[in-house]
Parts: sequence; C-alpha cells; structure tokens
Amino acid sequence: MSQNAVIVCTWGEDQDGLPVGAEEVLHIGRGLAADLGTDLAWLVLGALPSAAPETAGRYGVANLLQVEDAKLESPQPDALVAALAAVAGERSPRALLFHQTQASRAVAPRVAGRLGDAVVMNGVSADLSGECIVVTASAYGGDTRVVYEVSGRCPVIAFIANAVVPEPGDGAAVAAEALSVDLTGVEERVKIVEPARFEGPRLDDAEIIVSGGRGLGSSDNYKLIEQLAAALGGLPGASRPLVDDGWVDSSQQVGLTGRITRPNLYVAIGISGASQHMAGCSAAKTLVAINRDAEAAIFQYAKYGIVGDALELLPELIRAAGAR
Amino acid sequence: MRIVVCVKEVLDPDAVNNYAVAGRLEIGDDGKTLTQTAIPRLMNGFDEQAIEAALRLRDAGADFTLAVVSAGESPEKLLKHAAALGADEVVAIQVDPGSLDYHLVAALISAQIEASGGADVVLCGRQASDDDQGVVPALIAERLDMSLVTIAKAVELEGTTLRITRVTPDGDERVETACPAVVTITNELGDPRYPTAAAKVKARRVKPTTVTPDDLKLDADDLAPRVSVTRQFVPEVQGNCEMLQGDSPAALADALIEKLRADSII
Ligand SMILES: Cc1cc2nc3c(=O)[nH]c(=O)nc-3n(C[C@H](O)[C@H](O)[C@H](O)COP(=O)(O)OP(=O)(O)OC[C@H]3O[C@@H](n4cnc5c(N)ncnc54)[C@H](O)[C@@H]3O)c2cc1C
Ligand SMILES: Nc1ncnc2c1ncn2[C@@H]1O[C@H](COP(=O)(O)O)[C@@H](O)[C@H]1O
Repeated sequence: MSQNAVIVCTWGEDQDGLPVGAEEVLHIGRGLAADLGTDLAWLVLGALPSAAPETAGRYGVANLLQVEDAKLESPQPDALVAALAAVAGERSPRALLFHQTQASRAVAPRVAGRLGDAVVMNGVSADLSGECIVVTASAYGGDTRVVYEVSGRCPVIAFIANAVVPEPGDGAAVAAEALSVDLTGVEERVKIVEPARFEGPRLDDAEIIVSGGRGLGSSDNYKLIEQLAAALGGLPGASRPLVDDGWVDSSQQVGLTGRITRPNLYVAIGISGASQHMAGCSAAKTLVAINRDAEAAIFQYAKYGIVGDALELLPELIRAAGAR
Repeated sequence: MRIVVCVKEVLDPDAVNNYAVAGRLEIGDDGKTLTQTAIPRLMNGFDEQAIEAALRLRDAGADFTLAVVSAGESPEKLLKHAAALGADEVVAIQVDPGSLDYHLVAALISAQIEASGGADVVLCGRQASDDDQGVVPALIAERLDMSLVTIAKAVELEGTTLRITRVTPDGDERVETACPAVVTITNELGDPRYPTAAAKVKARRVKPTTVTPDDLKLDADDLAPRVSVTRQFVPEVQGNCEMLQGDSPAALADALIEKLRADSII
C-alpha cells in the first residue's frame, strides 16, 4: 500500500453491520484524500464489520486494513492506542481520522500523544490550505467554530459527523488485508470491575425523542415527557439541569456532554436552546420546540414551534398523539 | 502521596451562550478572539469539580499533598481560590495564551509535575468549556506514561488503587487502575464546595509559585506548535420556524400532531 494515505480508523460494529459514524467519516476522508492527491484507507481494529468490504468500495477506499488480535476482541484503550501507533509507525499515514465517540475521545488524543502529532477533536469539516490541513471544529459548545491549521506528519482528527450526509458511490467491494501488529507487551491498565449495564434502546440510535427541560418546573412533571415519548413511539431525553438536579439518569442527557443524537423527530419542551444542548440534537431532521417564551433560542432551530405552557400542552399532545 | 489538579481559566460559557442566543457574539479584528470584554473569566467548571474530587478523597481520609497548577496569562485568581479550598501548593505556569497549543500545554504541565516531585494522581476536567477539546489530559497521560480514566463521576482511593465510576452512554461503569493515573472529571460528580470566609482571607496572602517555559527546559520539539488557530467565527442558524396557531392547548396539540402526520414523521 502506498504511504501517505488518509486513514479512517474504526472498531466495533453497532448499526447495520457498520460502526456508527463510519460512513460519515469515510465521506470526509474521501474528500480530504482527493484534495491531498493521496489514497483513502480504512483501518479496522478487531473484528471486521460485516458491511465493511462493500462500504469500502462505495467510498473509494483503496485499502481496507484489518488488525486482528486476541487483545482487540473487545477493544480496550491500551490495545487500541498501541495498535494504532504501530500501524501509523509502519504506514506513515498523512492523517488519522476518527468518528468522535466517548471511546474515541479517550483513544485518539493518546495516539497523537504517542506519535507526537497534532490532534483536533470536535471537527465538523477538513480542507486543504496550501500544504496544510485545516480543520473547522466546534467550540464553546457550538456557539463558535474555530479553524485550526494543523502541521506535522500525521494529524489525528476526530469528527462530530452527525451533520454530515454521506454520499456513497458504486465501487466494487474491497477485500480486507490482514495486518499483524505485535501487542504481546500490552496490558490494559484500567480494569473494568462492573461493566455499564445496557438499559434498553439508546438515545443515540432513537428515531423519535421527546426531551424536557427546566421549563417543566418539577421532577413530577417529567412523567408527562415519558408519556408523550411513549405515545409517539420514541424515547424520553432531557437537558442537563434535570440530570444535575437528579430528576433523570445521566444517560438521558442530550447535548455536548451527553448524548449526541440524530433522530427523525426531536421535540424539545421547556428547553431554552443553549448551544450545549443543541450540540446533541441540532442534527434532528425535524425539530419541534414548545416554549412559553416566544423569543427562546430553541425556535431558531425548530421547524415547528408552539408558544405556550408545557404543562397545559403536554396532556393534550399525549391525547392527540394517541388518537388516530 | 501527591495529587495534582490542572485548572484552566476560561470565559464564562453561560455568558458566551447568552451573547450567542441574543445574536450579539462577535469576533474581533484579529478574526480569532471574542470581542465581548464584559464576559467574566473564571475557572473551567469541570476543573472546579476536579478540585472537589480531590477534596472528597481527603475527606475520606486519604493523606496527600494537593498541588493545583494552571498554565495561562494570569491564573492567580483561580489559584487563590484553589488555595482557599485547601491546596497545599499552587503553581502558575506563565505563558501567552495566544501561543498555546494543546501539546505545549501538556508538555508544560508534565514538565512541571516531573520537576516538582511527580504525581500519583493527576485530576483534570473532562474538557475545557472554551475549546471543548478534552485532549490535554490524554496528552499528559502519554507524556508521563500514566493510565487514563475519562469522564469520572466518583473517585475513591484505596492504598495506591483508584476505584472510579465512569459515566458512559450505556450507564455507569466501575473501573480500577493503579496509580499513577490521569483522571478526568465530569459534571455528574456534583456541586463543588465553596471555601470558608476565613480560608479566603488566609488565601489572599498566598503567592503562587510562578514558573516560565524557560524554567521547565522544554526541547525544541516540545515547543513547536502543532495546531494553530487561524480563525474563529459564529455559525449562522437558519431560523425558519413555522409557529403553529390555535386558540386552546387542545387545538395547538392537534395542529402539531396533524403536521407531523402529514409530513409522515409519525
Ligand atoms: C461545558 C458545558 C457543557 C454543557 N453540556 C450540556 C449538555 O450536554 N446538555 C444540556 O442540555 N446542557 C448542557 N449545558 C448547560 C446549558 O448551557 C444550559 O444551561 C442548559 O441546556 C439549559 O437547560 P434548559 O433549557 O432546560 O433550562 P433553561 O435554560 O432554564 O430554560 C428553560 C426554558 O423553559 C421555558 N419555560 C419555563 N417555563 C415553561 C413552561 N411552563 N412551559 C413552557 N416553557 C417554559 C423558558 O422560557 C426557558 O426557555 C452545558 C453547559 C456547559 C457550560
Ligand atoms: N492551560 C491549562 N492549564 C491547566 N490545565 C489545563 C490547561 N488547559 C487544559 N487543562 C486541563 O485539561 C482539561 C481539558 O482541557 P482541553 O483539552 O483544553 O479541553 C481541562 O479541564 C484542565 O483540567
């Protein structure tokens, strides 16, 4: 394989035979590789996702590389960092691209640290300015965008790809090429004593989400949000103050420091529309806002808005959603 | 045992957000910095909670020296607050914030830690609320060859073993790691405490130890910036919301559900 490729790095398989965000980052990677006049490669750590060969073809991936090792069976950070650094050392890539998740947030910057190379998280796009890769990234929870010029051999870039619309082409499937990396010396330094209990469907994958905010007034009223979510066949979410005040579990927090969602429908009730909340829901296809304050920022993002009292509207919405 | 907490000074994110929501967030002539001079500068909220995590370890009986370090233009105010809360050492690494890239910050903090007796635990915020990057703790962990545990909401210390509860998309996860380790703290830890009035008065006299990059003897590779900000801008929000009308909550609710059915969204 040619050196200097732009390499998209993934592990795991969550949705439709692919890791979440893989297509979006392949889409960004294809553009960047073309700008740089180099190849796009896809590095899979651990088991090969079932749809990888086909998907690789559709995004013009020149090389689908796979590192298989017992230590990558259920990939943990130390093995991932070691494997990524080893492949980078051998292949001299031009850039390593990641989809930003909580897991990649703990891996990508360590790879950059180990390689001594630049790192930028929260990327929304990557372009070329002369010889330099420039990454536009979200800052202040989304209130601003910062354009970073990254120098050095192999910048490590993670993208919040939920606003990217991937455009697959129609190339032929690419066969995976096995890479061997020596991970014998790698010991996970952090031991999982009690794994996170996966509790039902996750907000990240939900098609319909109804979220409540501080405008609900009291924790008792949150059950109306749960009822409306159920009536619409979706999941309930929340803004951060509800989590901070212990009304709901932190796994229900939508936003910059919570879940990043991309549902078909997001209904925000009694939520002001702070950038840090919008970071987790602005990619919704249709956003509905219900707020007492006609000037609330949330209406700027909404397709449909209702100015009114959440507590009066919720019972009626539950009724109307239930009626056929 | 020695615990180091890294704290960063940021513009108050709520104030920044208020300007943004009002459509009045502006970037100055340099094309990079926010012009709003009225926005207060304060300690990154997650870093306040990182100090709180250390104080809770102390409450639980752990015996350690607590050092709080900050790299920036003039972190004295933050460091006085840290001293009032019970930090034994407060260290200001004096640098021009304009030239700070994440590797450099991590190199400076790591070098300072090594030069001052090392650390068994380094506590950081999960991310700085200005750049939201969340990379400095990982870069410190790599430089000091420490393990890294991110997004912690509870930290316990038993001998030299850290027992940590992490917040993950699938719920809480309990992990263990041996010191030395870098741990990043998230808001689910809970509210940080305030210093007592007496401690605040005493802390007024505290002078932070001030070090410069020269004191830390970084090599050329450490000093070479890898990332530089060329521009900052305020993204535009489209704003074409259709406001539904109705003379009662029931009529409004019906109008919305009808729209969503007509669009085949539900
Ligand atoms: C670093 C950082 C990270 C953050 N991460 C997140 C995050 O991940 N997720 C998140 O949500 N927040 C996050 N925040 C907090 C964020 O900035 C906001 O403070 C928060 O989103 C506000 O929540 P809210 O909209 O529910 O409350 P508020 O801002 O208080 O808004 C309440 C809204 O309800 C309306 N209202 C009041 N009463 C009624 C009624 N009876 N009927 C209808 N409407 C009513 C009001 O008009 C108002 O618009 C973060 C902040 C920081 C600094
Ligand atoms: N200039 C700094 N001085 C001290 N600590 C810092 C500095 N920058 C970042 N940190 C620490 O690293 C964390 C993550 O910052 P960042 O990587 O910039 O998002 C912060 O919450 C701090 O704990």
